[in-house]
Amino acid sequence: MIALARPLTIAAILMLLVACSSDERAPASDAEKWAMPGVYAVNYPLAYFAERIGADSVEVAFPAPADVDPAMWVPAVDTIAGYQGADLVLLNGAGYAAWVQRVTLSQSRLVDTSAEFAERLIPVENDLTHSHGPAGDHSHGGTAFTTWLDAGFAIEHASAVLNALSRLQPENATDYRDRFDGLEQQLLSLDQALKDIASRIGDQPLLFSHPVYQYLERRYALNGHSLHWEPGVMPDERQWRELSGILAKHAAAWMIWEGRPHPEARDRLESLGVRSVVFRPAGNRPETGDFMSVMHENLQALQQAFPTSP
Amino acid sequence: MRDVLYLAWRYLVYNRLKTVILVTSITLIIYLPVGLNVVVEQSGEHLTARAEATPLLVGAKGSPLELALNSLYFSLDFPELTDYSEVTAITDSELATAIPLYVRFRSRSQPIVGTSLDYFEFRDFEFASGRPMAVLGECVVGAVAAETLGVGIGDAVTSSPETVFNLAGVYPLRMKVAGVLAKTYTSDDEAIFVDVKTAWIIQGLGHGHQDLASPDAAASVLDRSDDNIVANAALVQYNEITADNADTFHFHGDLSGYPLTAVVAVPDDEKSGVILRGRYADEDANSQIVRPVTVIDELLDTILTIQQFIVAAVIIVGLATVATAALVFMLSLRLRRREIDTMLKIGGSRPRVASMLLAEVAIVIVLSAMLASVITLLTWRFGPGIIESFVLA
Repeated sequence: MIALARPLTIAAILMLLVACSSDERAPASDAEKWAMPGVYAVNYPLAYFAERIGADSVEVAFPAPADVDPAMWVPAVDTIAGYQGADLVLLNGAGYAAWVQRVTLSQSRLVDTSAEFAERLIPVENDLTHSHGPAGDHSHGGTAFTTWLDAGFAIEHASAVLNALSRLQPENATDYRDRFDGLEQQLLSLDQALKDIASRIGDQPLLFSHPVYQYLERRYALNGHSLHWEPGVMPDERQWRELSGILAKHAAAWMIWEGRPHPEARDRLESLGVRSVVFRPAGNRPETGDFMSVMHENLQALQQAFPTSP
Repeated sequence: MRDVLYLAWRYLVYNRLKTVILVTSITLIIYLPVGLNVVVEQSGEHLTARAEATPLLVGAKGSPLELALNSLYFSLDFPELTDYSEVTAITDSELATAIPLYVRFRSRSQPIVGTSLDYFEFRDFEFASGRPMAVLGECVVGAVAAETLGVGIGDAVTSSPETVFNLAGVYPLRMKVAGVLAKTYTSDDEAIFVDVKTAWIIQGLGHGHQDLASPDAAASVLDRSDDNIVANAALVQYNEITADNADTFHFHGDLSGYPLTAVVAVPDDEKSGVILRGRYADEDANSQIVRPVTVIDELLDTILTIQQFIVAAVIIVGLATVATAALVFMLSLRLRRREIDTMLKIGGSRPRVASMLLAEVAIVIVLSAMLASVITLLTWRFGPGIIESFVLA
């Protein structure tokens, strides 16, 4: 009988083992959640619009360090994780923040705030093409991306932020609309003030220290020529020679700078009959004030440079 | 009673060849219909569960089955390709969340699934270790894929070329493992997940190379004019995306035209799903929308029909086997006539001798039933995986 019991026991154990090896899932751990909806932006104007419209109902983050140009900044992996965890990621579009193309983000949370006016963006030509392999000729040209300097576009950016926030929190849509209306009024006033100054500037030639003013130039019909000069850096002799050539054809009396120019550069420009005025694009968060206060400073600087005729 | 069982057992052990043949025959007759039923039912449940968890699939016009099998189980055959504009169109419709899928490439036998982070949320993935992929060239591996490839965080997996003999084809891309998923007991365990843009880089649609205008690339320039540079085959194209060369990777043209195998559409609600399906109702459209559960049900219906034929055949064979077994026992009784007479002469009562003979039959049947149960349990545990791999192959 013992001989009979052994195979029966083995069979029973085998059956038990097979049965016990069935699916067992580990209990799910709670994911980290935001206390309130999190909104990440790729530049300061969008973060500002989200802060103005969302107020205290959303947590807005714009993690770029203060000393970088957010357009060229590449976030670290930890910072990318922040963008990945956000409920909304506000993109400027127009190729701004190229790093977005090289990271993994939830497609459903991305909001291209310039999608509505994509066909009105300004292409930046790169004359140099190259070819390798079967892909044929191609260039790495892009699009002018300081879109918010056109106050009309700034309103459209803010409108896209409004729509995205309203979809995220429909219960707050009315509040968002009210706050957007206030912001829109301020941007329309800014737009009108810039148009008034532009009418005083008329067709007189201007210089821009950097090619970031394309939308300002087009919206307000300015006659500008862009250089590649960095504020705070004394241009080298090659750049001065290049400027002389430009001035011969484009007799500008004013150069518009992104930031305070190097004192020596400012003085040498004045010796050439070119005065300096600062118009900050405000792509990054200002040390003091906010987007609108920076724009009002810009406005004041232009009003001083181009005063109303007595 | 114990002595009866003992004698019956000793007889079966002594005539072990006959016993083994009988037990095997009866085991198979019990197992075949039951096991087949278990396999079909469980495979059906596995296939249906995955299909039910995936509301809608959008792809190019073609075989719905190929679209569903590739999107749900990452089968080797990929369907007609659609493009990324489908994701944009669904997103713009505000009816559903659109999740891109590009399941075309492999690393050895593991499928590389190009998608977005929305897929991770949609499937409710948990990480055993690491984090989601953050930059191009990073990947997240499923639990089984990690075991099979023997990789963990910080290791690299390399995509396999589509064709070995195409020297001008796509070069393998080395991808760094950023995370390993916890087991999900689905086909996701087998997969390597990458950003869909990384999948496009594997295909060669995006690439990183030396700056042709830089002096370092002089040896790679075939022809240079004021507005064009033509590179020769010596141009260094990167086969790994690192922090140093990441900013050289780029895509040409409009990404909306880039290929996908499918788009998972997760409607906001039932009504949105119906409206979305209505938009693809046009027979002339280049795209199709399918409910995976419908496609898989049709597949299972086919399998069930085959199963019914097999079960009918097995029942007929089973009846023949039972008749043969009965014959074996009856013939055995004749052959054992002298043995039975001896047992009666030495004092064994007729009922006890009959009990012993019945015990032999009972032990054979019990052993067969137990063996069939063990095989059925093994089938229940491993069968669906085997069947799915057959179906997907």
